Amino acid sequence: MTTATGQACVGDERRAPMPDEPEVMVYEPEQRARLGVLQCWCLMASRLVRSRELVGRLFRRDVLAATQHSVLGLAWIVISPLVGIASWVFMSRAGVLSPGDTGVPYPLFVLIGATTWGVFMAFFASAAASLTSNGSLILHARFSHEALVTQQAAQALVSVTANLVVLMLAFLLFGVWPHWGALLFPLSLVPMLLLGTGLGMCVAIFAVLVHDVTKVAMTLLGLLMFLTPVIYAPDVSDPRLQQLIWHNPMTYLVAGPRDLLLAGSMGHAQGYAVSAAAAVGLFMLSWRLFFIAEQKVVEKV
Amino acid sequence: MVDPCVASVAGAGKKFCAVQPHSMYYGIRDVCRSMIGVSAEPGVLRPHEFWAVDDVTFSLKRGERLGLLGTNGSGKSTVLRLLGGIYQPDRGRIEVRGRVGALIALGAGFHPLLTGRENIFLNGALLGMTTRDIKKRFDDIVEFAGVGEFLDAPVKTYSSGMHVRLGFAVAIHADPDLLLIDEVLAVGDSVFQNKCIEKVLTLNERGTAIIFVSHSIQAIERLCLSGLLLNRGRQVFLGSIRECIQRYYDDIGRTNLDQPHHPKAIGIGEAEISDVRVFQAGGDPCNRNIEAGQDFTIQFRYAFSRERSQAAQVRVWIRTHEGRDVQRLIFQEEAFPGGQGYDNVKIHRLERSGTVSITVRKPRLFPQSFCVDIAIAPIDRGVHLGGLANAALFNVIPPQSGHSYFEYGHTTVTDFDYVVALS
Repeated sequence: MTTATGQACVGDERRAPMPDEPEVMVYEPEQRARLGVLQCWCLMASRLVRSRELVGRLFRRDVLAATQHSVLGLAWIVISPLVGIASWVFMSRAGVLSPGDTGVPYPLFVLIGATTWGVFMAFFASAAASLTSNGSLILHARFSHEALVTQQAAQALVSVTANLVVLMLAFLLFGVWPHWGALLFPLSLVPMLLLGTGLGMCVAIFAVLVHDVTKVAMTLLGLLMFLTPVIYAPDVSDPRLQQLIWHNPMTYLVAGPRDLLLAGSMGHAQGYAVSAAAAVGLFMLSWRLFFIAEQKVVEKV
Repeated sequence: MVDPCVASVAGAGKKFCAVQPHSMYYGIRDVCRSMIGVSAEPGVLRPHEFWAVDDVTFSLKRGERLGLLGTNGSGKSTVLRLLGGIYQPDRGRIEVRGRVGALIALGAGFHPLLTGRENIFLNGALLGMTTRDIKKRFDDIVEFAGVGEFLDAPVKTYSSGMHVRLGFAVAIHADPDLLLIDEVLAVGDSVFQNKCIEKVLTLNERGTAIIFVSHSIQAIERLCLSGLLLNRGRQVFLGSIRECIQRYYDDIGRTNLDQPHHPKAIGIGEAEISDVRVFQAGGDPCNRNIEAGQDFTIQFRYAFSRERSQAAQVRVWIRTHEGRDVQRLIFQEEAFPGGQGYDNVKIHRLERSGTVSITVRKPRLFPQSFCVDIAIAPIDRGVHLGGLANAALFNVIPPQSGHSYFEYGHTTVTDFDYVVALS
């Protein structure tokens, strides 16, 4: 593709090769779909880098807006997980729950699983809402819409970080000393983060077209959580359920980081590696889909 | 060296779907096709789809000013959104060189809970300005918007005028190479409107190309040198702004006269109005287009169903197509007792039936569509003996002479000079 002046351009944007030369934007039907995979990812990455200031401003906007007219403000980020711990402690002490041998106090076990699952859900929900919650903005200004996903992900990251802090406090509270391998725990959550964002971006595109998609996805993920050893140990007595659990890639992404935190190594490292690779692949594909498809759906926001 | 075009639009088209379930289905289908690398065939119309913009071609060089004209739904805003990169074309090609400033919705992205200061940085970032750019122009933005003392107050406490001023100030200070303006100058008071137009013209002198969309023909005529007329998405005319405006009025005139209109009988049925015609005085009675500033005649037949014991009054209202009263023309059979009633009422005797011709002299009607209502009533009673609401439509079209349209801007003149003839 070339511009009228004969200069090469990529996608719908091209940065000026010379500092004084103005940027040239070319808009054609399906131009993004025609890009090669590598070319597409390079362009997506460069758009993301260029919109970093906007991401910062949008993030600041939402944080400031959330803390205005609020007495507790950002404290809500830690209040929610603390209330979560309290409820699990209560149910455990009341003998309502009998999850089997978890190796550590059950509330702590659940909190680790819930934090890991929470990473997935936080990034999924934020990415899924990125387009529908910014419809007016999208229809009135031209900017990289990936900035909306990134900005929402940044908010989710803050929330997840707070959850990790609460998790560390819970370790102190229960007198359990995490293994040194726990230092890798945040890194081991990255596949969950990417999987959540990737699925969220897919849902974001379809949710613009059919609003039910988000609700359906949230319901299915709610069911998936019960097929994933988030609040129970993966070794269950029912063989059929056992089979389902071990065929669920989410099992490895939840159990792996938990093993790392408690034992310093992953019990099913191979399963984790395969699931993590699949999560990274899905994220890259979803990002590309988002990049190609968002132009088609933007008018329907 | 040839000055490169700031904007080149070649055969651009954009389609939409008019039916929601189909729109959802097509959207899902297109996204799924793009997932597997199959073309969604954007250039092909499917059932219930229509071209909102169809085969539009033009180019704009530095310092040029183009006005987009057309009736509602003609595709003006869609063209702006295509140029602004908000919509992707389904056909053709659009190339834009340099930074685009889109005054499509002022203050888009403003958060009501954030202060004016914070919103300036946010809005600037949305328009592609870096923090350094915004800081450099911050004082100018605040001064132009005139919100200095409220800068640290939440935007939700701003008046709508302040909101618009701040949005305009940020957008205009982004140093755009191409400025897209969609109706936004219609908001705010006249002082601010003039200030905005001056600023736009100053930017234009420095080389910024302008594309302006407005229903205010005065503003278009003042701001633009050339015009592009759209009708149902199709490019009808591209050329001088004067000719474009003339074509625009021809266009809306045709559109309005083509629309079905339904006269409605009013009153108690003791009088009947029929065969209503409005035409340029001395012209073809079948031609409902009247040149602005030229005399025109309202002609109709009347008939009473029985002998009358009271004197009657004939009332003719001229309304704009939107229903705003412009003028009332009255004559009656005898003067009001004791000199009461309307001033300067014309006296004419009506037969049992006949034809009335009212010729309005040198009317100052702005080019647009008008509607006529006619009623006959006793001079001392409010009840209508008979009449016809929405009796006839007519168009005032732009003058053939070189007058500016500003001269015809008084659609609320209440003292038309008119003569009545009966036969």
